Amino acid sequence: MLEIVIWLSFAILSLSLLLSFVRLLRGPSLPDRVVALELMASLTVGFIGVHAIASQRFAFLDVAMVLALTAFLAAVGFARFLEKRGIHADD
Amino acid sequence: MGGFAWNILLALIWVAVSGNITGAGLLTGFILGYIILGLTLREVPVFSAYVRRVPKIFMFACYFAKELVRSNLRVAWDVVTPTHYMKPAVIAVPLDAKTEGEIALVANLISLTPGTLSLDVSTDRRALYLHVMYLDDLEETRAQIKQFEARVLELLR
Amino acid sequence: MTEWIAAPLLLAGSLLMLLAALGALRMPDLLMRMHATTKAGALGSGLIMLAAAVFFGSAEVWARVLAIIAFIMLTAPVAAHMIGRAGYFVGVPLWGRILRDDLKGRYHTDNHSLESPPEFSERRQHEERRGQ
Repeated sequence: MLEIVIWLSFAILSLSLLLSFVRLLRGPSLPDRVVALELMASLTVGFIGVHAIASQRFAFLDVAMVLALTAFLAAVGFARFLEKRGIHADD
Repeated sequence: MGGFAWNILLALIWVAVSGNITGAGLLTGFILGYIILGLTLREVPVFSAYVRRVPKIFMFACYFAKELVRSNLRVAWDVVTPTHYMKPAVIAVPLDAKTEGEIALVANLISLTPGTLSLDVSTDRRALYLHVMYLDDLEETRAQIKQFEARVLELLR
Repeated sequence: MTEWIAAPLLLAGSLLMLLAALGALRMPDLLMRMHATTKAGALGSGLIMLAAAVFFGSAEVWARVLAIIAFIMLTAPVAAHMIGRAGYFVGVPLWGRILRDDLKGRYHTDNHSLESPPEFSERRQHEERRGQ
C-alpha cells in the first residue's frame, strides 16, 4: 500500500516539477520566474520528504529543512534585488 | 509565556520518568502537565491566564486548519476547470493590529486563508493591502477580514 | 497501522503540490499565481512532512517535522509579500479583468514608502475623537 503511494507521489511530484519548469521558461516577467523557482524549491522539499520515507532514513529531513531555509533567503534576496533595480527593458 | 515553559518542563519530566521518548510520549506528558497546572495552580495569575489561553489557541488552530483546506479546495476547483471564475481585486483594509508582531501575524495568517493574499502594509500602519481572488461584495469581504483579525488579536492580547 | 495514516497524507500532499504547479502554470497574472503557490505549496509540503513524521514516529523526527512546518508556514507568506511588492515596483501587468486596484499610485517610488487610503486616516481620527 505505502509502496504504491510512494511511487505515485514521486510521479506526481515529477510532473509538478515539469509544469513549474514550463512556467520558469515562459516567464513572462522576472517575478514570475522567481515564483516558479520558489515553487520548485518547495516541490524539492516535498521530494526529499518522500525520499526519506522511501529510503527509511530520517536524516534526509535535515536536508529538507536547510533547503526550505535557503529557498526563503533566495526569494527574499531576489525580491530586494528586483525592487532596487526597478523597471528594465530586458524583463 | 511562563506557563508554557513550565508545561514543557512537566512534559519533559514525564518523558524522562516514563522512558517513552516518542512524539506520543511527549504529547501525553504535555496534556498531563496541562491538567496538573489547571487543577493545582489556578490561583496563580500567570498560570490561570495560560490555562485559559491554551483551549483558545487549540480552537483557533482547528478553525484555521479548516479554513486552509477550504481555501485550497476553492482554488483547486478554479485551477482544474477550464474557465476562470475569479473576480480578483486589490483592496485596502483598515488595521486594528498595532505592534509589528501583531501586524506580521495577522498578515501571515490572512495570506494562508481563503482567497486572500496580503501584499503590503502602509507605512503609517493604518491599512493592509490585500489581493482577493473572489470579490463578490467589498464591504462583506472587509467585514470577514476584520472578523478574522479580531479572532487573531483575541489570542494575542 | 502508521502506514494507513501516512499513505493518505502523502497522496494528499503530492496532489496539492500538483495543484500548486498547475496553478502557477494556468493562472493569468503574477498575484494569482502566488495565490496558488503559497497556499497549496505550503500545505502540500507540510502534509508530506507530516506523513514522514507519522511514518517514523520518534520524538526527534516529530520535533524536526514540526520545526519545518512552522518554518514553512512562517516564510511562505513573507516571501509572497516580498515578491508581490517587488512585482508592483517592477510594473508587472495585472490581469485585464481585475475589479479594483487600491494600491494604484499609493507607492512612492523615490523612498519606497506606502500611503494608506485617505478615507482611512479620517476614519482613525473620527474614532479617536469618539474615544475621548
